[in-house]
Amino acid sequence: MDLRNLLRRTAMQRPAVLAVALPGATDIRLAVEAEVRRRGWPVAGAPAAADLMVVCGVPEPREAEWLDDIERSMPDPAVRIVVEETGHAVHALEMARRDLTERAVTPREAEVDDQQGAAAGEPGGRAQGEHQGHGDDQGHGAHHGSSPPPAPDDQGHPHRSMGHGHGGPAAHPGHEGHENHHPDDHAAHLDHTEHEGHFAHIDHMGHDMHAMGDVAGLPMAERADDRDELRLDQLHVPIGPGLTDWPTGLVLRLTLQGDVVQDVEVDHLPVPRGHRLPFWDEPWLRAAQGEEVTSGSAARRRCAAHLDSVARLLAVVGWDDVAARCRRLRDELLSGAPREGIGGDLRGVLRRVRRSRTLRWSIAGLGELSSARAGEAGVTGPALTADGDAYDRLRIWLDEVERGLEVLDAEQPLTPDDLTGPRGRLDGAQPPSQALLDILPELLTGAEFACARIIVASLDPDLDELALAPVSGAAHV
Amino acid sequence: MSDAAPLWATVILPVALAVAAVVTAGFDAVLSGAAERGPAGSVREAGLRAMAPLREALRLLVQQPRRTTAADRLLGRLGMVLVPVAAVLAGAVLPWGFRSVSDPSVGIVWFNAMEALAWAAVWLAGWGPNSALSLIGGYRFLAQGLAYELPHMFAITTAALGAESLRVGDLVAAQGGLWFVVWMPAAFVVYLLSALAMAFWGPFAYPLAQDAAGGAAVELAGVDRLVFLGGRWMLLVVTAGFSVPLFLGGGHGPLLPGWAWTLLKTAAVLALLVAGRRLLPVLRMERYMELAWMVLVPLTLLQALVVAVVVLNR
Repeated sequence: MDLRNLLRRTAMQRPAVLAVALPGATDIRLAVEAEVRRRGWPVAGAPAAADLMVVCGVPEPREAEWLDDIERSMPDPAVRIVVEETGHAVHALEMARRDLTERAVTPREAEVDDQQGAAAGEPGGRAQGEHQGHGDDQGHGAHHGSSPPPAPDDQGHPHRSMGHGHGGPAAHPGHEGHENHHPDDHAAHLDHTEHEGHFAHIDHMGHDMHAMGDVAGLPMAERADDRDELRLDQLHVPIGPGLTDWPTGLVLRLTLQGDVVQDVEVDHLPVPRGHRLPFWDEPWLRAAQGEEVTSGSAARRRCAAHLDSVARLLAVVGWDDVAARCRRLRDELLSGAPREGIGGDLRGVLRRVRRSRTLRWSIAGLGELSSARAGEAGVTGPALTADGDAYDRLRIWLDEVERGLEVLDAEQPLTPDDLTGPRGRLDGAQPPSQALLDILPELLTGAEFACARIIVASLDPDLDELALAPVSGAAHV
Repeated sequence: MSDAAPLWATVILPVALAVAAVVTAGFDAVLSGAAERGPAGSVREAGLRAMAPLREALRLLVQQPRRTTAADRLLGRLGMVLVPVAAVLAGAVLPWGFRSVSDPSVGIVWFNAMEALAWAAVWLAGWGPNSALSLIGGYRFLAQGLAYELPHMFAITTAALGAESLRVGDLVAAQGGLWFVVWMPAAFVVYLLSALAMAFWGPFAYPLAQDAAGGAAVELAGVDRLVFLGGRWMLLVVTAGFSVPLFLGGGHGPLLPGWAWTLLKTAAVLALLVAGRRLLPVLRMERYMELAWMVLVPLTLLQALVVAVVVLNR
């Protein structure tokens, strides 16, 4: 093997991972995150930085388009895998690594055949290498507006079995060219009708401006009155499921002027119903169904859920060090680490977050939500208790984690009446996260873009819960 | 006062900066690894973690660059390339011991001007890809510039005032007895803050913040990303290194030769910055702006006043 190939192989030994989770797949996301960390692979914050896209959960056929779009905005060599069950994370990542190292040294002409060979050799098609569908001289979006190059032969590709023809560039010219070949999209946006798949551009939002004029094939910004009745440019920017540290499956369609949010429409990916309980609420729902659940395991789950939320909030705020520690502790909790083993570390992290005046200074005053208003909106759980801003909600999470730590190994069974999950009461008229979603527009309107993301992270709605309504446990109360 | 370095120093400078950047990034990677996966079990493990920046660089070299629709490629590229270029040009007036590649009579102004190139660099890199998030990242750096640059200029002006010269060599010579940090502590602290801000790194990574999915760097892949982010590490090294002739006595010190002292002091400042990053979240500039104008500007002005009075009475 010549030196060049050796270097290419070495480079792809630790690919940068972009994990895209789908609703209902929280446990898979956690398994993938833990495995990626164990391997020491870098985590990419955006498709452009990633080599490997890991889809956690089973994508529905209509979700294929935005997944394709994210994949198209990844640089070569790029591989997409789908992890459908927690147990498959290790194997899928290993296969993906092999695929990537092969891809890195394979000349492009031979790539398609080689790809099929690799895919065919994978048991069950869990780890599917996805063909990029363009030559490297073309670059992404480069064939926009011109006739696309011949599509590579995708026949026999396991991805086809998932029900969306992956037609290569012929079906989807350049990753940012998609506004053009859906003229209806513009109309759909302007009158705010639902339109599947137009959050496809999530990760390259700049191209989602809808208006009369076209520049270089991209529509220009609209104008509208702002708060002070000045006529200013207005951007329609959907943000959503491809983002890291973002509630799984949540889609927000923002109308921005400058970076101030003028209008918000809350939407989400389809949430699969029925086949399993929302991961974070599982112990309480099981107890309600009459199963034997120890209060220790429920406390463990609650601590882990809050640590997950804290980690996301801190990652969005930009405190990576503590966010990473929270994630590690979350995974240790879930894997059943004993209280003595984890207590010291965990208390240390909690203390560090509590003591940070900079953090407080940075997020205090954002997303002010009084108890009264929260109660009216049907919000329960930490967001109700907090009676205040993003920082107060964070503090409630920390307090609950600390309290949970005391009863981590408690053996007595959880009473079926105890139906307060990490995000609130599970026996209410609606799942707790639905109330959090409902309150989002009023908290976000008028906020700046950065603040908006912090506010969303401080509420951290769990879309898995939406599959709950009406709560099965309500019958027991 | 300082001698001109031989011509080959010009060639060595970028290499030395790059090596220093890799070492610093390696140190940072070890600390990050400890947060993510617990403390390293063995020296070998720690060594592997320290290799992360090199692996990352290699990975980015193998990645293909990508293009976005209607991108302003010329300006975007210019922005990326300007980051390491600004670092190297600023490094030209950095004395290694008592010698620098060039020691013009306005060395401090040169240094500051090169830093200001970073403003243009990040703004252009954010502008280039024609993408909303990278644009948000780009203009965030302008806000950041407004917040840090004024206190920063007062801080370095204070050092120049103390030496009564804008020549970096004179600054080092003036600290033969007493280091400036001793009687200009406020200026030194403000300088360290702005060193982070200039390298848009750590608590000042707002232009590249996660809340905008990576901001100005969101669309960068492959070599583009390597040049931009690698350049950022070089900027961090240069700005940290410049605190040594400004406040820490340059090459002055007992026993060891001047270059060794410079190296040691630079390493210490860098270690402080890298470890200190772990204590702070990214500062949102609308909040930092308040601090900068209400506290830091008056503070640095006061510091400059004290130094001016001392100098006039000398």
